Amino acid sequence: MELIINLTLNGLATGMLIFLLAAGLTLIFGLMDVLNFAHGGLFAWGAYSGLWVYQQTGSFIIGIAGAIITGCLLGIIIEKWIIKPVYGNHVQQILITLGLMLVLSELLKVIWGPNQLTASPPDYLKGSWDLGGVIVIKYRIFIILVGFVIFAAVQYILKNTKVGLVVRAGVMNKEMVQALGINIQKVFMFVFMIGAGMAALGGVLLGPYSGVIHAGMGMEFAILAFIVVVIGGMGNFKGSVLAAILVGLSGSFMAYYVPDLSLAVNMLLMAVVLIIRPQGLFGEGGVRR
Amino acid sequence: MKLIQGNRMTALILVIAAFLILLPFVYESRNLLILLTQIFVFAIFAMSYDLLIGFTGIVSFGHAMFFGIGAYSMGIFMKKFEPTMTYFFLAVLSTIVLTGLVSFIVGLLTLRLKSHFYAMLTLSLSGLFLVLAEKWRSMTFGNDGFTFRVPELFIDRTHFYWLSLCLMMAIFLFLKRFTNSPLGRVLQAIRENEQRTESLGFQVLHYKIAASVVSGVIAGIAGILYAISLRYVNTSVFSMDITLDALLMTIIGGVGTLVGAIIGAGLIEFAHDWLTELAKEHVIFERWIIFFGIIYILVVMFFPKGIVGTLSTYPSKRKKQTAVKSKEKVAG
Repeated sequence: MELIINLTLNGLATGMLIFLLAAGLTLIFGLMDVLNFAHGGLFAWGAYSGLWVYQQTGSFIIGIAGAIITGCLLGIIIEKWIIKPVYGNHVQQILITLGLMLVLSELLKVIWGPNQLTASPPDYLKGSWDLGGVIVIKYRIFIILVGFVIFAAVQYILKNTKVGLVVRAGVMNKEMVQALGINIQKVFMFVFMIGAGMAALGGVLLGPYSGVIHAGMGMEFAILAFIVVVIGGMGNFKGSVLAAILVGLSGSFMAYYVPDLSLAVNMLLMAVVLIIRPQGLFGEGGVRR
Repeated sequence: MKLIQGNRMTALILVIAAFLILLPFVYESRNLLILLTQIFVFAIFAMSYDLLIGFTGIVSFGHAMFFGIGAYSMGIFMKKFEPTMTYFFLAVLSTIVLTGLVSFIVGLLTLRLKSHFYAMLTLSLSGLFLVLAEKWRSMTFGNDGFTFRVPELFIDRTHFYWLSLCLMMAIFLFLKRFTNSPLGRVLQAIRENEQRTESLGFQVLHYKIAASVVSGVIAGIAGILYAISLRYVNTSVFSMDITLDALLMTIIGGVGTLVGAIIGAGLIEFAHDWLTELAKEHVIFERWIIFFGIIYILVVMFFPKGIVGTLSTYPSKRKKQTAVKSKEKVAG
């Protein structure tokens, strides 16, 4: 029983980290038709910059804030200078974001060195609770809580604010939104910034969770996030959280029982979704080509 | 006019080929020979990538997996069995079958969807192959890799140099022929406008899968040559870096030209060699790839046709513009 609870919590925590990455990816794709292959780079930048601020100031909260600010700033710069010039050309967009991924992860190595860095949670999140015989690691609960708070907040913004309304309308039909006199470019930048910020938050939370960070981890998590985006449906925000939890749980259980197959299972899941429901498990309607 | 240009181009290629064939006789440098062999191998790999991205408009981010399949099947056959020509041909055969199969399945799954899906599936599938190569220790010896002996024919560096040069030329001519064939024309039509090609009655999916399979098999051949030239194989052949190399070579050299892929391969491999030397002077050169990343982004943004494409279209474009202008004058 204790094992199952712990594996579930572990899977949920990993799932939440993947969700933070995949949510931005899916929103950006839904709204702007850009599949951002550099998203993993933003994730890794969040981890490094957050850890650096955390070590300099000694406060984990300021570290998290630093990571989010770095992510948002990078998001604005990337949207304005790199992605905007090639809007509308799919092949160019895909190529340019992958090049950006390369530059972002190499820059990390230039600034912080090619070796991996160690990270540990702050004292108040270290250790574990004993809940009636079940040992629960504090930091995992913390990640799960943060993930749910972010999910609820974004969901609230999407459903109940003017910006959210514009974003949802933009996902459906961006020409119409533009024709109604709304500056969609500003909305693009806002969504890209939020997406980048969420990715950076995921990165900084991962550091103390796995203990070490390295420049290649952006790509590792980005692959999981792509799987999640496909399973959840491209452009489907709610689908991405469900798919992220699914991938996180299957990853953690498989890693315990059949460790060699944990990535293969997720890949298989993605292949099956691609064959049967290319619009995603939780998507509606046909897939746009 | 165009005919003369074409002849000049062929003559130039022949002169360069003759020079490269004669090079080992006049200039004896083991390092240069190895570097050039490496360039030929990667040129083959980059040309196979160019068939996808430049001629069909398919973006793959997992091309390393075909390269890796080729490298590993050669390595495993040579290590587990005897290093004879029989097993060499068996390894080539298994590479062709495996790469063909994998590219066929990937194409079947994703090529009917948006271009993002192919990029994503190949990216994650090559990640899966990397994990497989790390975990299947009894076969691949994990991350450390293994060395192996090669058939006698390939032991001499100079012979192998000629062999890879000839193979590169052969594949270049084959792809030139292939892309100018009716099938290749359809592929280019798909790149230009997929919907229109489909409405003209072509089964777009079939053509795209055909391109994907041919490209995958050629990439596998490049992997075989790579493994033989190093006589060593480890998990790095499946890594993202190999895909990125192909991407940088094709994009910077010029997409849709084939020559561009060869030039790009030469450029990047030479630069790699040279900048690694410079790394002793300053640490920034250890991260040499970052320069190419920046150049790559600039090329995608401002010169989407790469070096060869930009150079070859520049004069004709001007001519066209003046032609249009004079027509306007006539009309006005």
